[in-house]
Parts: sequence; C-alpha cells; structure tokens
Amino acid sequence: MTAIANGLLAALPRKDYLRLLSGLVPVDLRFGDVLYEPGKPIRDVYFPGQSLVSLLTVVEGHLALEVGLVGRDGMVGIPLALGIDASPVRALVQGGGAALRMNAARFRRELRRSPPLQRALNRYVYSLMAQISQTAGCNRFHVVQARLARWLLMTRDRVRSAEFRMTHQFLSHMLGVRRVGVTEAAGALQRRKLIEYRRGHIRILDHRGLQNAACACYEGLKPS
Amino acid sequence: MRTRSTPKQNHLLAALPAADFARLAPQLELVPLALGAVIYESDGEQAHVYFPTSGIVSLLYVMNDGAAAEIAVVGNEGMVGISLFMGGGTTPSRAVVQSVGRAYRLDAAQIKVEFARGGALQRLLLRYTQALITQMTQTAVCNRHHQLEQQLCRWLLLSLDRLPSSELVMTQQLIANMLGVRREGVTEAAGRLQADGLISYRRGRINVLDRAKLEERVCECYGVVRRESDRLFASHAAIAA
Repeated sequence: MTAIANGLLAALPRKDYLRLLSGLVPVDLRFGDVLYEPGKPIRDVYFPGQSLVSLLTVVEGHLALEVGLVGRDGMVGIPLALGIDASPVRALVQGGGAALRMNAARFRRELRRSPPLQRALNRYVYSLMAQISQTAGCNRFHVVQARLARWLLMTRDRVRSAEFRMTHQFLSHMLGVRRVGVTEAAGALQRRKLIEYRRGHIRILDHRGLQNAACACYEGLKPS
Repeated sequence: MRTRSTPKQNHLLAALPAADFARLAPQLELVPLALGAVIYESDGEQAHVYFPTSGIVSLLYVMNDGAAAEIAVVGNEGMVGISLFMGGGTTPSRAVVQSVGRAYRLDAAQIKVEFARGGALQRLLLRYTQALITQMTQTAVCNRHHQLEQQLCRWLLLSLDRLPSSELVMTQQLIANMLGVRREGVTEAAGRLQADGLISYRRGRINVLDRAKLEERVCECYGVVRRESDRLFASHAAIAA
C-alpha cells in the first residue's frame, strides 16, 4: 500500500478513508487546467497530491487575484462541503501532478456519512479563511517583493520542491499587480541571489534568505 | 435601540425551523454591543458566539506590527464566532464593534453541541460561512484593485444591508482604520459623496440619502457579496420549510 499523498485524507480514520477510496479516481492535473469557473456548478472535488491548485477571483472578466492556494494540505471544492453547488472562484492548476477526484454527488453522500470527514473539512475551511483574510491584509500593507517571496515559499511548501514553473502573467494574477511589478520584484530577489528565474522556471536558491525577504504573513500560513 | 429586541431580528435565527428555534431560544442572552468593544482577540478563547440584531461588528486581520485591515462586516444577517464550530485554531484576527447595537449570544459549549446535531442549524451556519468567505474574498480583491471612493461605497452599502436603519454612527478615523487607509483619503472621498448628495455626514453620523446613486458608484465587489447573501437567504427559506 502506497502512502496517501493528500494530508487531509491521510488524517482520516482508516475505516472512513477506505470507504472514500472506492469513489476516488486518480487523475493527473496539468499546468493551466481550469477546474472551476466562477458561478458554474462544481462537478468534481479534488484532493491534490503533488499538484497545486490556485483559487482566483475574476473582476470585470479578468483574473484579478489569488485568494487561496490548495495543495496536499486540502481539497478543491470547498463550497460543496458548505452546501453550495457553485464555485465563486476560478480554480486553476498551477503545479501539475497527481490528485484524487470524486464526483459531486458521491462526495455529498460520503460527506453525510462521515463525521470525521466533515470535521476535517471544516477545519480546513477555517484555515483557508485565514489564508484569504491574510491575503486581504497583506495586499493592503505589504510591498510586492515581500509578497512575492511569501508566495514562492507557500508554493514550495505545497509542492515540496524548490523548483517549479511559473509565468510572469501568472504571477501578476497571483499578486494582483501589473507584469512590470512582477518583473521588478523577481529581478530584485534574483539579484539578492535568493531565487533563479528563467523562462518560466523558478528555483529557490536560498530558502532562509527568502524567508527573511518575505513578510511575516508567511509564518501564519504554513500548511500543517 | 428603544424598541424591544427579539432573537428573530437576526436573520440566521429567524431562518431556523420552529423546533430548532424553540430549543435555542431559552439559551440566548441579549447583550449590548458597545462602540469599540472587542468581541474576540486572535489569541483568546472565545466564550460565546454572537448573533447581532442591530449594530455592526467588524472582523479585522491584524498584522504583526499592529496594523489592522477589515476583512468582513457582520450585522443582523450573520453571526460572529464561526471558529467555535469550524474547529479552527486561532488566527490573527479581531472582532470589534464598529456601530453600536445589540446581539444575542450563545455559550461556546452550546453552539458546539447544536452544530454537532447536524440539523438545520448546521446547514445554515455552513452556508453562512460560505457567504462570509465570499465577502472576505471580495474585500481582498477590492483592497487591491479598486479606488478608495469605490471601497467606501462598498463599505457603506455592506454596512447598511446589515443594519435596521439607514444611519451609521461612525467617525472618519474609524472608517479609515477599517479600510486600512489614511483618514485624509476617507475625508476626501466622503466629501465628494456628500457634495454629490449621496450621503450626509455630521458629527459622526452618516446618513444615506440616495441609495440608488451609491449603488451606481460602487465597484462590482458589492454586487458579488450581495448576491451570495441573497442566495443564502433564499436557501434559508428552503431549510425552514
């Protein structure tokens, strides 16, 4: 039996996990895949393993800001766990890799049957809310460079790799700033030899240095 | 304030089926919400949840250096203290009364028991949580992308939707704190709205004179939160039925 790649599933009692397992389909999420569009019904939920999914708001038809980052610590499809059928945000695969998928109807059934799953998801929802409120505060007060550093560290924690793919365009949506702002901030981190950024690939060279460059918000958001 | 308070002035409590409401009602305690009172601090244990019937409670995100920004407002449409039943740990947030009023409060242990029953109350509170998430999300976006005047309009409309009257008791300094901006910016934006006849502002009291115009000036963030909230109450009807 291989290790359970998703932390939320791994923390369930064995009996609950095994019952869920028969409804979970392994899928390979690809970079750039759109899992949900705002206002549209949620067909499936996803438990990321190595993959990473970004929750993005859309303003006036354009991607505006990342408000949540879901990796092996969580589940994509939280509104369903709260009794809402549609997604308020776009869910975009930001790091390709494995995930487990379950269709919405089956998920609702399993959720009713499993109080441990309910509790785990409620706790996760709460941590996601902390992430959202922190994004609101961080956006208000902190400079782009510190926010970029925080965001790179959050990504690293969730994909468990110091190297990942990331376009300028994408970073500009993450941080809600123009591309030129991203270029400046990434350039500054690169000159400080904290990261290497080339052709859409980012490598973290100095993890501790990057932590020092990040705003304190990062400390509050490490996945458990 | 002189009018008699009843728990059903809070929309969540009003949406409960009769049996659930009857069970809960004797446990509810009416308390005043005094201006500036801190309902909870990030590191403190919460002893109660609060269902406001009037007044506004602000949920603030508190930075390490003490600066704070509002992430949501709660009034008679909602409740304060969801961490108690969501089982979350402490977060760097604070709940502060920003407009005086009253609330019914329920003991922490009791809300946990009620939530664990898994009935109508649980469904209602989970959906409310989603509406709150939408509000927080939209606040984050609005902070990033929209002009101060639009943010002020959003904030006024969201607050009004959560109050029984069209008057807000509020200083400009307090609004500036809520929005995380300088007071001068608020003064300027409020001055424009006043000059255009949308609001009147006198001695810490804001009256909305032309709500329709205010809705024209606001950014789309308000509409997103409003629709989510309307949907919640549409589904309340379904729960109570």
